[in-house]
Amino acid sequence: MIPPTSGIGAAVLALFAIVGFGAFLWRAYQLYRYLRLGRNEDRTDHFWRRVRDEIVVYLGQRRLLTRRYYGRGLTHALTFWGFLVITYGTCDLLLSGIFGRRMPGTESGVYVWILDLFAVAVLASIVIAAYRRLVIRPSRMHIALDGYVILGLIGLLMVSLLVFENAGIAAGILEPGQTPPPLAGLVHLGYSHDLALAVFSGAWWVHVVTVLAFAAYLPQSKHLHIATTLPNVFFRTQRPRGALDLIDDIEGRETFGAGSVRDLSWKQLLDAYTCTECGRCSQQCPALATGKPLDPQKIVLDIRDQLLREGPKLVGAPGDRGTPPARWAPTKAEELWSCTTCAGCVEVCPVTIEHIDKIVDMRRWLTMMEGDVPAEAQRSLTAIERAGNPWGQPPDTRADWAKDLGVPTFAEKPDAEYLYFVGCAASFDRRNQKVAEALVRILRAAEVSFAILGTEETCNGDPARRMGNEYLWQTQARQNMETFAKYGVRKVIASCPHCFNTIANEYPQLGGEYEVVHAVQLVRRLVNDGKLKLARGAAPRELVAYHDPCYLGRHNKIYDEPREALGALDGVEVVEIAPHNRERGFCCGAGGGRMWMEEKVGQRVNHKRVDQIVSVRDLVASEGAKVSKVASGCPFCLIMLDEGVGAKGVAEELKPVDVLEMVASRLEVSA
Amino acid sequence: MKILVCAKQTPDSTVRVKVAPDGRSVDAAQITWAVSPYDEYAVEMALERKDADASTTVAVVSLGAARAKDSLRQALAMGCDEAILVSGPGAEALEGLGVAKALAAVAQEAKPDVVLCGRQASDDDQGLVGAALAEALGWPHVATVTKFAPADGGPAGSVNGIDVWKEVEGGHEVWRAPGPVVLTVQKSEKEPRYPSLPGIMKAKKKEIPEKDVASLGIGASLPKPEIVKMEPPAARGGGKIMKDGDAKRTAQELARLLREEAKVL
Repeated sequence: MIPPTSGIGAAVLALFAIVGFGAFLWRAYQLYRYLRLGRNEDRTDHFWRRVRDEIVVYLGQRRLLTRRYYGRGLTHALTFWGFLVITYGTCDLLLSGIFGRRMPGTESGVYVWILDLFAVAVLASIVIAAYRRLVIRPSRMHIALDGYVILGLIGLLMVSLLVFENAGIAAGILEPGQTPPPLAGLVHLGYSHDLALAVFSGAWWVHVVTVLAFAAYLPQSKHLHIATTLPNVFFRTQRPRGALDLIDDIEGRETFGAGSVRDLSWKQLLDAYTCTECGRCSQQCPALATGKPLDPQKIVLDIRDQLLREGPKLVGAPGDRGTPPARWAPTKAEELWSCTTCAGCVEVCPVTIEHIDKIVDMRRWLTMMEGDVPAEAQRSLTAIERAGNPWGQPPDTRADWAKDLGVPTFAEKPDAEYLYFVGCAASFDRRNQKVAEALVRILRAAEVSFAILGTEETCNGDPARRMGNEYLWQTQARQNMETFAKYGVRKVIASCPHCFNTIANEYPQLGGEYEVVHAVQLVRRLVNDGKLKLARGAAPRELVAYHDPCYLGRHNKIYDEPREALGALDGVEVVEIAPHNRERGFCCGAGGGRMWMEEKVGQRVNHKRVDQIVSVRDLVASEGAKVSKVASGCPFCLIMLDEGVGAKGVAEELKPVDVLEMVASRLEVSA
Repeated sequence: MKILVCAKQTPDSTVRVKVAPDGRSVDAAQITWAVSPYDEYAVEMALERKDADASTTVAVVSLGAARAKDSLRQALAMGCDEAILVSGPGAEALEGLGVAKALAAVAQEAKPDVVLCGRQASDDDQGLVGAALAEALGWPHVATVTKFAPADGGPAGSVNGIDVWKEVEGGHEVWRAPGPVVLTVQKSEKEPRYPSLPGIMKAKKKEIPEKDVASLGIGASLPKPEIVKMEPPAARGGGKIMKDGDAKRTAQELARLLREEAKVL
């Protein structure tokens, strides 16, 4: 269509464009300067993986098109894809309006069709989104004016687009040979030629001015994410989910963790710009769900707000460090200590924000710079330092559980193929010693060659690292790695997902590369390979609920193996604790060092978890079946579930067990 | 104000102590050593005073083997300004009175306003050194202290008496000491602080001067009791769980067992 700009019109449009884009660029420049306050962090490794993420997460909208979100995800995806398509057309409008030049292909039949389809789809999506805000009002959503302004602007863009197309057709100002916009042309309003021209001209101007207003408004709004998601996804961490960031050269440093917005990395600040305030993270957070002061979305938005507040001052004053993040509010430290590092937030964030890293960086400052640690956490950190386990049990009793079982140590059996890294829980906690015993029976039945380190084993360091004491984690990790090296350990089995995660995903940061398996993975493999023979025969039907431990599931994507290991047992059927299962699993409350901290505020996380399990049990019971056990694959989950079923008075009928115990109880008895 | 804290290095509470083959000493192999808990409270109490008044200086002294330096570094990492180790042949073998005399010599040189000791050490639980140190110095002594502060009044910078909060049955008393005083600490206001990493790094590099115990002139002829035998507590027998669901019968059976087997009724 021929733009309604000639002479003065083109000049006015050019002026508007300069103001609109100028406002955008000026704000963008400010934001960039604040961003550069952040510390350096290299996010350029794994280039092709980043390209793939960009295609899948950004273009493919994969994080929005997820279980239970497909409908809502689709409205966003259509709006986004529409934005990409229509922006091309917008460039054409501005270019032709100001310079009389066209973008290639905008008058082609294919483009005109696609543009029109998307214009209608976007309009429909906007109506749905507005309905959700106005009528449904989902609790997770932070409903504010900003959202309505954005929806209003997009709606106006689509309406004005369709109106000027419709009037343009009526006025007959299509370029020679151009396909008429098919959907906009469906309606015939019976305009006179002059009226059609006037409507075309008016709607066209409304459209392009709205575009420019949108550009100016965008960087002032949460809608900035349409610009920042592109780099934010590209520069997302390529570390394994379960691995925290390494503080390298720790002996040579003087400051540790985030004591200023300057100590957050530029990518963490970009995360803060990118937050869309959708509230999905908040909805998944076990701390928030049980009345703790933590809200993962607030962690991110506080960074954004503080950066915008302090940024102008800090940009001009290199020595000024501003207020430490953990002191932004009197309750801030309490927020930070409430996190179980379950990664529920990280999992669902549609724009790949990394919440845990921020929380841990702030904890690092509290712990290593300020020594400001909750008393119980301090006790367990000191216990790790002095006794090599967070419970402060006498270190020389670490292998007592194995004495009567005759489990060899590496000192006794240096040619063992696997190291069974027992971990502190299975070494010292009575209940979890039974899990270690079960694994020993399994490994023996499958004739796996293994040994333990005995009293030479020490805490893997995971609790220390997640409580913010990176130094202690490195000390523990190095000590274990030295012991591994002493015995030439190459393959490691862990029955604790926390041991598994830190040895598999974090020891490599210090040069410790091993082949690490979690025991349920190994069990699954041994059953598949026919090396582990299970008892066959008429076992009664048994329904077992499976609780996903965060460090097995979300952090390491081990969802299927434990279910398959249970399913391989005769008569056993796995019951899903839906919808809080697999990647939406609800934490037991013990991750991130919370195992050793008191939980005084709100409901206990493990009690809420048991409530969820009980409601699934009741649902199944209403169908005439009985869930008698809840299986897990983590010693902390087991302790928490045990406490939870006891407190809820269901200990007798809903017994927490470890998957390994179930498997060990069904081993084929050799004749 | 100048504070001197006396800190003893004892086996950490996480250690399962074993009796050595001679039957009268502790097997020192594989022991993790730490500042005795009450002494750690004394360090914390001194640092709490320093938090309240930055002009306060806190020195910490330990008497014993060279490994006690690790514990002194812990105290430095927490925030003490300086540390002194009294060591040398015979230092470890000193008994309470000798230790008190050696510490008195250190205190006379350092001239603190307040000397803090834990109320007792976690290894021998004697509770002697603090009181004996006061005696050796000729200073007053207040026990089971939970807090202290300089008394009001007097010219700035001078210490015009010291107010001392001490725990007593069902409450606390406030005492006032006229001048230098030895306090034996029950508990600090807060739990002993967690040393910051920069604090640990700084403490690692800090010079800890050593004093030879022989140079302190404590004399050789102190009366000294002798340990003749050490025994670990008897192993605990397994408990008994009474599973009978009937409350009345369970109670009857429990009463019978308490009377006939445990013989406590």
